Amino acid sequence: MDISDHNRNAIFERLLRPYLERLYRLAYRLTGSKAEAEDLFQDVLVKLFGKLEDLAAIEEPGSWTSRVMFHHFIDNRRRFARQRLLSVDESQLPQKSIESLPGVDDPEQDAERLDDIIRLGKALAELSDDHRLVVLLHDTEGYKLTEIQAITGDPVGTLKSRLHRARARLRALLSAGATF
Amino acid sequence: MMLCKQLNEKLDDYMDGTLDETEMAVLQSHAESCESCQQTLKSAQRLRKLLQDCPVPMPDAAYFDRALAQATRVSTSHQRNRWIMTGFGGALAAGLIAWIIGGVLLKTPDLPDSDASIPGVVIALEVPYTVNLVFSSATELDGAVLTVSLPPGVEIEGFAGQREITWITSLKAGKNILPLTLIATTAHGGELLARLEHDNRDRTFRIRVTVT
Ligand SMILES: [Zn+2]
Repeated sequence: MDISDHNRNAIFERLLRPYLERLYRLAYRLTGSKAEAEDLFQDVLVKLFGKLEDLAAIEEPGSWTSRVMFHHFIDNRRRFARQRLLSVDESQLPQKSIESLPGVDDPEQDAERLDDIIRLGKALAELSDDHRLVVLLHDTEGYKLTEIQAITGDPVGTLKSRLHRARARLRALLSAGATF
Repeated sequence: MMLCKQLNEKLDDYMDGTLDETEMAVLQSHAESCESCQQTLKSAQRLRKLLQDCPVPMPDAAYFDRALAQATRVSTSHQRNRWIMTGFGGALAAGLIAWIIGGVLLKTPDLPDSDASIPGVVIALEVPYTVNLVFSSATELDGAVLTVSLPPGVEIEGFAGQREITWITSLKAGKNILPLTLIATTAHGGELLARLEHDNRDRTFRIRVTVT
């Protein structure tokens, strides 16, 4: 496909816009922080603009762009993983999302929920990168195992056992606390 | 205790409902009478719910516009050349359409929906005709998105076959001119829309294209 220089921006935007939110969410799941997610997201957009002909030709841009992001993240893991080492603190949590969590309307429950989210964040930080990613993409983002396979290239069987081990580890980490 | 161990090992399958019927029935009836397993199931359910609700702080729409604009910046600077700064003098072509946006840029209501107030151009079939869209902005607007929608049978030179063309661009303070060369391929004519978006606000301008 020949794309005149003139019109690249418009085509890029039109092709990519439907996948921006999904890509950003993936960036956040990979990096675990807003600042790193924005860096990763921006890097990948620049990269994708350089691959505009591929983007235009590809059948499933959602999966392909996610794969590009995943590999860019892996190749630059050290740079993007910085903030993962920090414990999750309240300021990192999106106030708005917490307020809009379903079924939360009394302050006591709200506080309990916030506490749960913080503890979950800490438990997730204890998992290996592979384990954390599979549980966040599958259980949180609702990806199918085949969709994760398309991004990471790992066989479904491997992903499934990794998912089960990740959940078991999370349960163990969380049940160490009294209220869970 | 045997069953407790079994349930713990098969917990994911139990919750996913992917166990075979017999095993499921055995574990279910055990769980009903085992407090420890009830507790296990409860916390597994709670973890699932919590994971489902685990939020991503999403940036606003303007962030995505900026990120896109940033990614295309090499090309954007090329596009910026299409905007011509002008003193708004008499040197402009006869086809000038002056769409002046005042100091309350993008907040003012759209042009009224009456035919009389819509500026128009008359163009001949298959003869290129340049109109200059003039945008006057009180302030610099970075990463503005301009979308031009064309009536059927009217094309912009260099964008053959496209009904909608989008630029990500920046407006300087003052008057910005975007020259568009129109070519009519059929005698239909109609309305050309130019939609300018910036920072979640937008304004649409209309121009009547008559083909003779
Ligand atoms: Zn039991």
